[in-house]
Amino acid sequence: MEAKLLRREVLPFLLSFSALAAVALLFDALLHFLNAVWIGRYLGIPGTLIILGSFGYSLRKRKVIRSGNPVQWLRLHERMAWLGSLLVLVHAGIHFNAILGWLAVWAMLINVGSGLTGKFLLERSRRRLNAAQQKMRQQGLSAEELAERLYWDSLTFDVVKQWRLVHLPITLAFAVLATAHIIAIFLFWSWK
Amino acid sequence: MRRWVLAVIAANVAVLVALAAIYPHLMLSPGVLVAGHAELATDCFACHSPWHGADSRRCMQCHALADIGLRTTRGVPVSRRDVNASFHQELIEQDCRACHSDHQGRQPIQRSRKPFSHGLLRPAVRERCESCHAAPADIIHRDLSLGCRQCHQPDHWKPATFDHARLARTVLDRCESCHRSPNDSLHRQISGNCRRCHSPERWKPATFEHDKLFVLDRDHNTKCATCHTSDDYSRYTCYGCHEHRPDRVRAEHVEEGIRDFEDCVKCHRSASEEPERHGSREGRERDRD
Repeated sequence: MEAKLLRREVLPFLLSFSALAAVALLFDALLHFLNAVWIGRYLGIPGTLIILGSFGYSLRKRKVIRSGNPVQWLRLHERMAWLGSLLVLVHAGIHFNAILGWLAVWAMLINVGSGLTGKFLLERSRRRLNAAQQKMRQQGLSAEELAERLYWDSLTFDVVKQWRLVHLPITLAFAVLATAHIIAIFLFWSWK
Repeated sequence: MRRWVLAVIAANVAVLVALAAIYPHLMLSPGVLVAGHAELATDCFACHSPWHGADSRRCMQCHALADIGLRTTRGVPVSRRDVNASFHQELIEQDCRACHSDHQGRQPIQRSRKPFSHGLLRPAVRERCESCHAAPADIIHRDLSLGCRQCHQPDHWKPATFDHARLARTVLDRCESCHRSPNDSLHRQISGNCRRCHSPERWKPATFEHDKLFVLDRDHNTKCATCHTSDDYSRYTCYGCHEHRPDRVRAEHVEEGIRDFEDCVKCHRSASEEPERHGSREGRERDRD
C-alpha cells in the first residue's frame, strides 16, 4: 500500500515540482550562456499574463464562464500555471535582492506546491468515485457527461474542500505580493 | 469568500505598504547602492522619478557633465589621475545608465559593470587614445611613436599585432633593447646581432646550422670563441689548436701543391672526412658551397 502511494502520488508530485526547478535552472543557464540575461528580466511579463490566464478555470468553476468542459479547464489551469511559474522563476533568477520580490516568488512556489497537492487529491477522489462511475455508466450517460459529473462530485469530498480553503488564501497572498512587486516596478523602473 | 480571509489579506497589504515605505532599500531595492551613493539608500526618489524611473537628467543634477572626472559633486578637484574620467564630456550621447548601474553592490565587480564601449566616444576622440590613456612605460613601448591602433584594438588591449617592421632601423638592430638574451649555453657565448640567426618576425626557426659549414664533432665541440675570435661569426680561424699550426698546415698543403688554404672549411667540412675538393693548385677562386 505504501509503495502504491509513493508511486501514484508522492513521486509524480515531486517530479512535477523538481521539473519546474530543473527547467528554470536550465533556461537561466542558457540565457547566461547566450549572454542574454536581459531577456529573463522581461519574462516576468508573459509569465504573469499566463498565470492570470490560468485563472480562467477559477471563473469557470464559479460559473462566471459557462462554456467549456471544466475538466479541460482544470488541465489548462495546471499547465498554464506551471508554464507561467517557470517564466516567473527564470525572471526572478537566483538573486537575493529586494525582499518583496523574493516573498512573491516564495508565495508563487508555495502556490504551485499547493496546486500540485490539490491535483493529486482530486486524482485520489476520482479513484474513489470509480465505483459510482460504473453505476452511472449503467445509467447510459455519455463519456463527456460522465467526466463532468465526476469532476463536480470530486469537489464535494471533504479533503478537497479543506484543501481549497488553504489553496485560495495562498493564491491571494501570492496575488497581493506579485501586485505589490509590479506596482513597485512601475513606480521605479524606467522603461526607456 | 469568508470575511476573515479578506481581513487577513487587507492586513497583509497594509503591513507590506508600511514596510516598503519604512525600509525601501530592503523591500524594493534590486541591490545595494554603490559606496558613493550609500547615503541615498533610503531615498529612492533622489534618483527615481515616480512612474518614470531613473534617467540621466536626474544624475546630472548632481554630477554636472563639465565636472565629471575633474571635480567631485561638492566641487573638490579630483586628485586621482590614474583613471582619466574626463572623457565623459566627449561621449556621443549622455546616457549614464548605458554604463552605470548603481544597484550592483558597494564594491562593483567587473562582472557587474556594464561594459564601456569606445564606440560611445566621438570619432575624433576615439582616435586620440592618449587623451584618456597614459602610454605604457615599459621597454616595448618606449621607442614607439606610432598610434596605438597600429597594434591594439579599441575593444581590447590584448592580443596586439606587433610588427617589428614598424620600428625605426636603429631600434630594430638593437634586439637587446627590448629582448633579454637567452641564458642557454649556446647563447651565453654570443654577443653579436641576433639577426644573424633569427628573423625579426619569429625567433624560431633559426638559421643556425653549423653542420652545413663545419661539423662540430667530439674533438671540435668547444666554445664558439675558440674559432670565432671576434664577435663576427662569419670569420673564424682553425689555427691555435694542436696540429693546426700555421707552419705545419702550410707545409702539408704546399707539399700537395695547394696554395689557397686559408679558408679551411672550403674543403674540410668535417674533421673525420676527406676534403670535399682539393684546394686550388692554380690559385683559382672557388665557391664555398
